[in-house]
Amino acid sequence: MSILSKILKKEQKRRQDDNYRQQQDPLKPEDQPILRNYQDNIARIKEEFGNSTDLCLREFSISNHKGIVVYIDGLADNKMISEFFLESLTEEIIDHSQDSFQKLMERAVGLGNFQIISNWNEVFDSFLSGNTLFFLDGYSKAINVETKGWNMRAITEPSTQLSIRGPKDSFTETMRTNTALIRRRIKSPDLWLETIKVGKISQTDVAIMYLKGIANEKIVTEVKERLNRINVDSIIESGHVEQFIEDQVWTTFPTTFHTERPDVVTSQLLEGRIAIIVDGTPFVITVPAIFIQFFQAPDDYYFRFDISTGIRLLRILAFYIALIGPAIYIAATTFHQEMIPTTMAIAIAAQRENVPFPAFVEALIMEVTFEILREAGLRLPRAVGQAVSIVGALVIGQAAVQAGIVSPVMVIVVSITALANFSTPSFGMAIAARLIRFLMMALSTILGVYGIMLGLIFLSIHLCSLRSFGIPYMMPLAPFNIRNQEDVFARLPIWAMKNRPKFISKDNMVREGENQKPGPSLEEDDPSSKGGS
Amino acid sequence: MRKITVVTLLVIICSSFLSACWNQKELTDLAFVMAVGIDKGEDKKFSVSFQIVNPANVNLGQGSGGGQGLPIAVYSSSGDTVTEAARNATKQISRRLYYAHTNLVAISEEVAKDGLLNILDVLDRDPEFRTTTQLVITRGTPAIVLVSSLANLDKLPVNKITKEIKATEAMLGENMQITIDDFISGLLSKGKEPIVNGYKVTGDVEMAGRAGDLLETKTKAILSADGLAVFKKGKLIGWIEHEKARGVIWILDKVKSTAVNVDWGEKKEAITMAPLRTKTKVAAKIKQGKPVIDISIKDEGWISEVNTAIDLTDPNEIEKIDKLVEKEIKRQIMATVKEAQKMKSDIFGFGEKVHKKDPKLWKKLKGNWDEHFAELEVNVKVDSYSRREGIRTKPFWSNFNQ
Amino acid sequence: MEKAKIKASQLFILVVLFEMGSAILLGLGVSAKQDAWLATLFGLAGGLLLFLVYYQLYKYYPSLPFTSYVQKITGKWIGRLLGFLYVIYFINMSTRVLRDFGELLTNTVYVSTPLIVINSLMMLIIIYAINKGIEVIARVGELFFGAIYLMALTGILLILFSGLLHPENLQPVLEYGWKPVFRTFIRETLTFPFGEMVVFTMLLPLLNNHKKVKLACMGGMILAGINVSLTIAINIATLGVDLYERSNFPLLTTIGKIQLANFIERLDVFFMLYLMIGCFFKISVFFYAAVVGATDLFQFKNHQKLTFPIGLMILLASVTIASNYAEHIEEGLRVVPVYVQWPFQIIIPTILLIIAFFRNRKKKATSSP
Repeated sequence: MSILSKILKKEQKRRQDDNYRQQQDPLKPEDQPILRNYQDNIARIKEEFGNSTDLCLREFSISNHKGIVVYIDGLADNKMISEFFLESLTEEIIDHSQDSFQKLMERAVGLGNFQIISNWNEVFDSFLSGNTLFFLDGYSKAINVETKGWNMRAITEPSTQLSIRGPKDSFTETMRTNTALIRRRIKSPDLWLETIKVGKISQTDVAIMYLKGIANEKIVTEVKERLNRINVDSIIESGHVEQFIEDQVWTTFPTTFHTERPDVVTSQLLEGRIAIIVDGTPFVITVPAIFIQFFQAPDDYYFRFDISTGIRLLRILAFYIALIGPAIYIAATTFHQEMIPTTMAIAIAAQRENVPFPAFVEALIMEVTFEILREAGLRLPRAVGQAVSIVGALVIGQAAVQAGIVSPVMVIVVSITALANFSTPSFGMAIAARLIRFLMMALSTILGVYGIMLGLIFLSIHLCSLRSFGIPYMMPLAPFNIRNQEDVFARLPIWAMKNRPKFISKDNMVREGENQKPGPSLEEDDPSSKGGS
Repeated sequence: MRKITVVTLLVIICSSFLSACWNQKELTDLAFVMAVGIDKGEDKKFSVSFQIVNPANVNLGQGSGGGQGLPIAVYSSSGDTVTEAARNATKQISRRLYYAHTNLVAISEEVAKDGLLNILDVLDRDPEFRTTTQLVITRGTPAIVLVSSLANLDKLPVNKITKEIKATEAMLGENMQITIDDFISGLLSKGKEPIVNGYKVTGDVEMAGRAGDLLETKTKAILSADGLAVFKKGKLIGWIEHEKARGVIWILDKVKSTAVNVDWGEKKEAITMAPLRTKTKVAAKIKQGKPVIDISIKDEGWISEVNTAIDLTDPNEIEKIDKLVEKEIKRQIMATVKEAQKMKSDIFGFGEKVHKKDPKLWKKLKGNWDEHFAELEVNVKVDSYSRREGIRTKPFWSNFNQ
Repeated sequence: MEKAKIKASQLFILVVLFEMGSAILLGLGVSAKQDAWLATLFGLAGGLLLFLVYYQLYKYYPSLPFTSYVQKITGKWIGRLLGFLYVIYFINMSTRVLRDFGELLTNTVYVSTPLIVINSLMMLIIIYAINKGIEVIARVGELFFGAIYLMALTGILLILFSGLLHPENLQPVLEYGWKPVFRTFIRETLTFPFGEMVVFTMLLPLLNNHKKVKLACMGGMILAGINVSLTIAINIATLGVDLYERSNFPLLTTIGKIQLANFIERLDVFFMLYLMIGCFFKISVFFYAAVVGATDLFQFKNHQKLTFPIGLMILLASVTIASNYAEHIEEGLRVVPVYVQWPFQIIIPTILLIIAFFRNRKKKATSSP
């Protein structure tokens, strides 16, 4: 793995360098050797680094050779370096026979992984990613020791994708931790990890993780190609990567899946998907993503299948409500009054008697108010959040009705829609529904149910035309595949899900042995027959 | 090409947004017509009255406030066609008349006698009208009285009438729900004539539309279902009432429950049997080139009232009662058939049965079916079973007389 | 020609949706009275025979669409003319279906909405779909297939539970003898919807598995035929013959009769759902065939360039084709079957098959020795 990733890294670097040369990027030093005079080196570092204050330089001497240690405060493990100074460099070395650089190297072994570098472009790479550099006077090379050790967030419970049952750990901002979380779950040498650097300035580590032999090679190469194609100054979150590697831009639907749960990534890897882990964010992308995947919550697989199936159907229903709930209200009250049972129609009419707006405006007011409320609640500190919800409940609920701005029925519609929207497990899918909802409302205002249907047909065409890394988005449904229906609307018992989804992992399909259906073992004595005999 | 597409798209979308009110109708702009009454007009042909619900005054939910004033308002206007009258009515009404929730069309006896043919098409054609709208004929009183009357149990007065018909169909079996569609299909069929429920307002007719009438527990104006109107060629030709009306419903297999009284010994109307399930089968057969109708009724019921001394624990006695009930039902049915034959109106659809049995014979009879119907041989066979007798065995009469 | 490939199951679904399309909505075979369902089944049988003709043609040229092999059979110029006529025919048919669709909506729910608005919005969606290609249309078909069946099943259950079904309305069977049934078969049910399978001669080369063409298409026709026939029977059993005859859209009237538990009533909207889905596929298939045919005839590189102009043509024609519904239906019942459907669906393909048969025999004869 490491060889492959190194090759890849080099390849990547070369390509990036080419790019830089073409664009004549002033930020990057030329490919020059390190100078012999350490003072010159320091001067150069300082100059290029703009005398940034977090740059730490500590001078030392070893066998009369002056040297200097360079690292960035906060990125490198300060404690480790100090201890190293105390233990190794302070004690005088009497033996003069040995080459000082050699000596330094021997000592540095105790610090950690190290390598010798001699080029300037490597200098910045190394200490900017938390390594420590040792320059020694009179040598045109430096020792690069891995001393990464910054303060990182501990592994906590996932904050956006909660589940009743299932592991409680979640990814953190550190890539290494994240890869470890996955590796701990799949103890197989087939779990391959490749890292490349993306972002001209930010030099963010982006890792591709997949199960060799299960993942579709074609998709793996495609992912690599798309990642390599990214030419941007920085990658801050996996969302950046996502937007660069999507199949289609003009869609509100997410064509990549992201999660902060290691168990989800694990199960997706085992289905043949590819995980893209970006350093600096707890959200891991998995591709290819299909529509129905966004309705599969992790608990679905941990609970009994019958319950999970019911809940999943409920979620899909909720998605539709979130999509066309207010639109149906508008259509029913302004076009198809005959649809509503008489007494209810009269009740709604009575409520709307004092409302000055047409149904569409009424719905729009409420929906927008609700969206504002939700947005406000999202960003506010926890302490203030409480206040917002009280204000919101008052504004949306009672006051608006009493002021005669909206009718009580509308409040009910908006609330149900909001609840339904929250029940979609994936935020990316839920937010797509939110946006389309307004389009649906507009359509239903123009043409009632006909408008809604037009919208739905349009959506269907659109969804069917989407692809995620070459996989049709609506996959097991359209194109329909009977063998892959085990995890779509109904979630079959785990022992019945014999195969991996065929459309993702093309070759290696079987995931469990024969006769996995549980039941009393045959050898066990049947109590009833015992009684009889 | 792409540009043209985009431009056209924009034009279409914008234009639809800008003039987006072709069929849009806000709830508050609609006048829900709950019932339509059709009377004979003075100068024009028809005088049509509309019962319009006033949503704010129908106290349906707690939050809807209201409750002040009357739940309905009635407007009437005249015209030579129903559509004309409806359009004329808009002169008086601030909202658009909306018929999708119309549950009832009441037609006065007068108009019905002249024929309904000129009224029906609009009710049939307009997509807004429900095909399940009920049709009634008001007896004696003009339709407007029925349309403008209030009810004290139901929040919407129209529900009183439609539910009443439903209730009598279920409990008594003297009326049945008849929709516009039923009427028209009866009208069109050569082998069947339509019937319509009769309705009348008795008591102080003047009080029917006044709020004051509702302030008393016993309203002065009484609305009640009454009899079945028999039609022929779209014209009202007579009424069938009470037991005979029940006979009609029975033959049409719509009776759900009712009460049949029989005599026991000396005592008249001593025992009441209430059928719980009844099933009527009407079959035609051809005997010597002439159609014969067999009606077979099978009903199961319980003895709901015994006003004489009988030992109900004795199966033989029960059997005797059953026989009496059978005879009584048969008598009623035969009386009904005779009545209809006298009117020469095949309200039972016997002609259709003959048609299905023997299309060739029907072709010959079809032209003059009314006459043939009047002389039709009808056999009635009733099987009645009393399954239960309530929670007492012997009635108290048994001990009382001793 | 698009490079897309569709699966046999997708073709099957397309055939079913296409055949049911507008046939379920309209009062098919009215002139056979209560035997309309029987006439439909006859139509199915005739349609299957007809399809064998198309299939035989397809077997001679399995990789070419109709507009291409017609040039091989009759020579370049006559072939091109014929191909062009067929493109016009497909355009005309999709125009007629679009008009049907628009009339349905403006007659029932959207009484005061202009026809052009209704039609143009539908056409926009269809143009979008055609632009995405046949693969996407086939996939959308798969999505809606289940939905339609679910709806149909619910509908039938609701009708049953409302106690509306009076099977005696279907009696007496063959009251007027075989003649009216046969006449209806020739005039209506053979050509509409079963003869319209001729449009699939344009789509068959897209199938990825050539062996399954017969199974997919004929299976689809049979399923659709049974569905249509069943729907007609249910309509007649619910409405009675005379109301069936008098209704523009019997299915709508049937659904309107459903009244259950005091609040399940006026389900007209569900009718509209079916209407939209059915017409969407019917128009799309005709439209797609026209576009592919034109692309093939005029040697365009891809069909996207032609979708918009042809779409616009269909839209404008659908509004101007007749001045009112009665005229439109009159054309549909009197003129189109005799002067359009018969030649295009039956006469020309049969003649082509005969020529192709002799040509290929000659070729075989010359090549084999």
